[in-house]
This record gives sequence, C-alpha cells and structure tokens, in this order.
Amino acid sequence: MNYASWIQRVGATIVDAIPFAILAGIGGAADSDMGAVFWIFYLIGVVYLIFNRWYLGGQGATIGKKALGLRLIGEQSGQPIGTAMAFVRDICHFVDSIICYIGYLFPLWDAKRQTIADKIVKTVVIKAA
Amino acid sequence: MRRQYSIPERLGGFGIAVAGAAAVWPAFTAGTGLGLPCPLRWMTGIPCPFCGLTTAAVDLAHGRLLASLADNPAALALAILTVVTVPLIVLRQLGLAATPVPWSARTRRRTQVAAIAAAAASWLFQLHRFGFV
Repeated sequence: MNYASWIQRVGATIVDAIPFAILAGIGGAADSDMGAVFWIFYLIGVVYLIFNRWYLGGQGATIGKKALGLRLIGEQSGQPIGTAMAFVRDICHFVDSIICYIGYLFPLWDAKRQTIADKIVKTVVIKAA
Repeated sequence: MRRQYSIPERLGGFGIAVAGAAAVWPAFTAGTGLGLPCPLRWMTGIPCPFCGLTTAAVDLAHGRLLASLADNPAALALAILTVVTVPLIVLRQLGLAATPVPWSARTRRRTQVAAIAAAAASWLFQLHRFGFV
C-alpha cells in the first residue's frame, strides 16, 4: 500500500487550516474586541472544521487531503470510515497530543505511517491512485 | 518491505521542516498569539523530555548556538542528523543511490534502546533546567 508520507500529511493539515485561519483573521480584523462579529466568523470557522474533518474526512478526504492527493481509509476495509469514525479518530488525536505531540511524528518511522490515533481506530492515509 | 528512505533520512527531512518552521515561528506566534505548550508541563508543572525544543530550534535557526544548547541539545542533534542525511536524500531522489537496506532486528532493537536512553537523558536535562533536580 502506498502510504502518505509525514510531510504530505502535514501539508494536507496546513491546507485544511487555511480557511479557518482566514475566517478567524477576518473576524479578528473586523471586531478586535471579540464581540458578536468576531464570534460569528469564529463559529462559521468551527462549522467549516466540522464539515471538513468529520463529513468530508469521513467520505475519504478532507479539502487538504484532496489537494495533496491523499485518502483516509479503514486499514482492513480499504473504504472511507464515515463521519462518526472520523469524529472518533479526531478525539483519539488527544493521545497523539498528550505525549508532547510525539504521536504526530509516528508517521516518520511507523511502517504504516500511522499516528497513534490511526492505530486506535485502525485507519491509514494513503496516496490516492 | 523496502522503504524508499531510511528512518534517519526521514528524520533529516523532518529537520528541514523544523528549520523552516523555526525561522518563521517568532513572527507566527507574535502575529497570532498561538504557541505550542507542553501538555505535561501545562497539567503538572513538570517538563517533558522535549520541552525547550521549540525555543532551541528557533535559537539555532537564528544562529544562537549556545542558547540552543542550553534550551535543549536535541535541536542541535537533529540539525546534525539533517546535515548528514540531506545529501543522501538528494542522491536517492536523483536515483544515484539505491533504496536503503533494512536494518537487522538487532540493529533496530539497539536503536530503540538508544532512542529511549536519549529521551531519558533529555528528560533529566529538562528537569535540571527547570530546577527539579
């Protein structure tokens, strides 16, 4: 299986973050006192994150992964994992973070280029054909 | 399964990414107010083995070698690994070097032990740096 490299996954994450960063930036610029306008833009950003990471991610690829030609699939099934499991996978990223973010570096040396969250929910990120 | 690049080479590639990020990190944190707090230190006050790496990387990227060593020597170790492995990565990309030979089980085991020992040493260094020992 053609697993995505660490740097490709980082690139996809950066692309995923750009719309949220733009929305938060616009909200912050429009309302530096963090009033209603700021929070409206922030919430739009949160909705985008949920849609992107859980719905699109559950379908196989977030915007970032699509841009870099990657796919998130179940290790055994070879199929997209669905919205619910994409949500669970993101919760499991807590484990990647709590050990001083070392979990996010696992793809550098892991045979299947998995983070700890990937190992828990049994997913892999591959280069789409 | 033959890897296209060895793990040290991939860590060297990671070092390039760290160098790039370290060069812009001060501007990024100043502009956004975001940072990379240590979860262990945030929750318990106790530093982890990797505390100071961000600061050390930024110091190294900006030419402050001694400051970098005082923050966390692992940043310099990663930089050395990067300098050593980048030529090999380039050679492999150009097809001038064969794919790496897999390490034996014994070599992998010894490397894992060495990595754990290095992490333990780094932890002691950070505990001392923060006044715990």
